[in-house]
Amino acid sequence: MPTDTLHSTFRALADPTRRAILARLASGGEASVKELAEPFQMTLPAVSKHLKVLERAGLISRGREAQSRPCRLEAGPLREVSDWVEQYRRFWEQSFDRLDDYLHELRRGENEDG
Amino acid sequence: MANNADPNTEPPEQELVITRMFDAPRELVFKAWTEPEHFVRWWGPKGYTTPFCTIDLRPGGIMHNCMRSPEGREVWTRGVFREIVVPERIVLTDSFADAEGKVVSPTHYGMSPEWPLETLLTVTFEEHAGETKVTLRHAGIPSGAERDGAQQGWVETVDRLAEYLAEV
Repeated sequence: MPTDTLHSTFRALADPTRRAILARLASGGEASVKELAEPFQMTLPAVSKHLKVLERAGLISRGREAQSRPCRLEAGPLREVSDWVEQYRRFWEQSFDRLDDYLHELRRGENEDG
Repeated sequence: MANNADPNTEPPEQELVITRMFDAPRELVFKAWTEPEHFVRWWGPKGYTTPFCTIDLRPGGIMHNCMRSPEGREVWTRGVFREIVVPERIVLTDSFADAEGKVVSPTHYGMSPEWPLETLLTVTFEEHAGETKVTLRHAGIPSGAERDGAQQGWVETVDRLAEYLAEV
């Protein structure tokens, strides 16, 4: 993956409307621009602009055949993003598990001493 | 950068937030974080050890650690304390380092080039009826990014999408 792809993914994810669009595509599969515009108080061109950002970031692809050019989620860049975040999360979750054990050990020691 | 032309897509500051309750008084949990003899007993993923740790607990002071994987691979890190409020809160930077405490690029340890050179850790300790709630914020690249108040939502979105991707 090129160096700046992750950055462009994060930039695309920075906007709440675009995150909502991705969530919609993740849960509901393919959708047309009109269908994606429905939940928002936005014009079709405004939604199309968001879709262009998502498409450039490789987060969605659009059908070539039909007039409606249905949008679908592309998994690759998102998997990279979640991997990156997950590495931090795993590190701290596992450290905290060990801290929890260690604190219990310390307190058992205290009770024995007392 | 692909999206330079679009002014509406400034990246949010990337931040991981983890909260955990510990069944111990706040002073003890704070000590476990800030005294080397305690810190080396728990820091790092399961199976890792911490063969080296120094903590100079004062603003501007340095924390320098070595983490060893079960396979014997060593990773050194160093941080600088930005803020210390005993026993409520510590703020420190976090970077990859060498054994002398010099900052090195994350790629030195085989991390991807996207990995931030420096991250910021904010750890708060709150006592509730003898238990301690620890909130850890790990904030990273890109520097100078504007906070948009949506980091939590962003992380949740990624989590949901990650769940979805696990099913694909």
